[in-house]
Amino acid sequence: MSKIKYFVQQSWLLIVASFCFGLLIAVTNAALSPTIKQNEINKRNRLVKALLPEAKDFILYEEQIEIQPFRGKTENVEIYRAVSEANECIGWSFEAVGSGFADKIKLVIALDKNFEKIAGFDVLSSNETPGFGDQIKYDYFRGQFKGAPAGELKLVTVGEPGEIDSQIVAISGATISSEAVVEIVSNYVTQVKEQMQKKGIIGNDEQ
Amino acid sequence: MTNSNAKTARYAQTLIAGLWRENPVFRLLLGMCPTLAVTAAVKPALTMGCCVIFVLICSNIIVSLMRNLLKPHLRILMFTLTIATFVTIADLFLKAFVPRMSEMLGPYVPLIIVNCIIICRAEACASKNALVVSIIDAIGMGIGFTVTLCVLAAVRELLSTGKIFEVSLMPDAFVPWAAMSMPVGAFITLGLLLGLVNTVTGKKA
Amino acid sequence: MDTLNILLMAFISVVLINNLVFTKFLGICPYLGVSGRIDMAFGMGMAVTFVVTLSGTLTWLIDHLILMGTPLEVTRYVCFILVIAGAVQLVEMYVRKFFPSLYDSFGIFLPLITTNCAILGLCLFLNLEMVDNILEAVIRSFGAGIGFTMAICIMAGIRENLDLADVPVCLKGAPITLITAGLLAMAFMGFAGMIR
Repeated sequence: MSKIKYFVQQSWLLIVASFCFGLLIAVTNAALSPTIKQNEINKRNRLVKALLPEAKDFILYEEQIEIQPFRGKTENVEIYRAVSEANECIGWSFEAVGSGFADKIKLVIALDKNFEKIAGFDVLSSNETPGFGDQIKYDYFRGQFKGAPAGELKLVTVGEPGEIDSQIVAISGATISSEAVVEIVSNYVTQVKEQMQKKGIIGNDEQ
Repeated sequence: MTNSNAKTARYAQTLIAGLWRENPVFRLLLGMCPTLAVTAAVKPALTMGCCVIFVLICSNIIVSLMRNLLKPHLRILMFTLTIATFVTIADLFLKAFVPRMSEMLGPYVPLIIVNCIIICRAEACASKNALVVSIIDAIGMGIGFTVTLCVLAAVRELLSTGKIFEVSLMPDAFVPWAAMSMPVGAFITLGLLLGLVNTVTGKKA
Repeated sequence: MDTLNILLMAFISVVLINNLVFTKFLGICPYLGVSGRIDMAFGMGMAVTFVVTLSGTLTWLIDHLILMGTPLEVTRYVCFILVIAGAVQLVEMYVRKFFPSLYDSFGIFLPLITTNCAILGLCLFLNLEMVDNILEAVIRSFGAGIGFTMAICIMAGIRENLDLADVPVCLKGAPITLITAGLLAMAFMGFAGMIR
């Protein structure tokens, strides 16, 4: 009994303080978490709206698609359906991750409603070299993806950036970053498309 | 009359100490990690500085109120607990009201918990002094830290993009030094600024 | 085989490409303070490696088994720092009692390590990068410690030579160390893009 008394005597302040601080954190969290959640949703929507302008809202598709971002790892991708004013599906979007030159590159990719053409991508987070790899965020590179076929894309070092096809011209001085983005997009788009066709969410190519 | 004058003078002295004579980064060499990490541009530096001021003030208040009740061997634990709580609260506020800045600062906001400045001020000042002195010390140190961060960030941002807060300040012929926004630039700029401060204050070795 | 590949890549990534000191700016305070002599630097590096591996694994376990997905997630930072402080305390007591010679060689650094940003920083990065399995968490923590040791020993070697060089008075001490660190950071940038 005296041991417990000694313990309480020594650490009563710690216990009381922990309790009060815990309460403080809980209250702040309760007050702010709706705003935080809304911010996350807004951020996603803002980026994808730029790629699919007619979209009014984005609905999370219930079924999760499982793909392999690279050999040995599986990941569950959350697919969002973009719906227009008239509540019809006008496109799809999802997030993709892969390793770039310096660190991981996170993209959000948008496709048209039949999964035939890529509507474009936006960079959520990247740590590429400023002035070089950083240019994946700019139009010279991003513009080449708008309207490209949804499938395997190939990186080339010389070519016509204005021509929209499955060949993407690399950024001069940033081959590895460009290659990384092309690989991420190709990888995710082909695998997600395959899985969605298997589940019958979108029509097959032969039809 | 003289008593309150002496008190005001003491408060003023404590405030100014944090700004120059005992500037946490340049003189005490504390809190280096966020200094290098968030000073790529002025806005994140300012945000980080404000967070540190908030946490410093709150933790100094609490520690100063508790200073007579602390048991010696649980001291550091209490300080750490207090600081961690306020940093969590600051982080939640950032995430809710300035989400873009919160993303840019990323994991460096929780690293304020182990920022040597805050624990050192709690240990050296707040646990030994009354409430008002502790608050003023916190404000002084915090402002000193923020100003330092902003100066460093201004230099780096100006040289790496030619603009501060999106306002173009360099002549058109200026070619931006990309290296300034990378770790290289951070280390070298801080080193040179420290050297400059040492020259100005006539520090020897 | 694939798992081994992933783990190896994770290790190399943390040691060379995303070195804690040169790319993530963690652990600068002890880096500047203790890198005067190689033996002290090595001692500090080893102590950090020991503590960071232990803390990284413990905090990862707590995060995944208890905190994630529950309302308690918001107390993450408090839990992490308490676990780290407790782990350091336990390690110090244990080492002092059972390995006194080891304690003599790096005992004095152990209490300082609790406020080392590298430890908390690594735990947060493990959380941020959504590391999935415990083996990867252990390898990344261990790699972080090794990377820090490597960085601090290189710096100690350079500083021992700098003592004999003609450094301007205003730059002596911390400024020249920082400038050297900047040059080292630039050198380490060469490792970027090494793994695909």
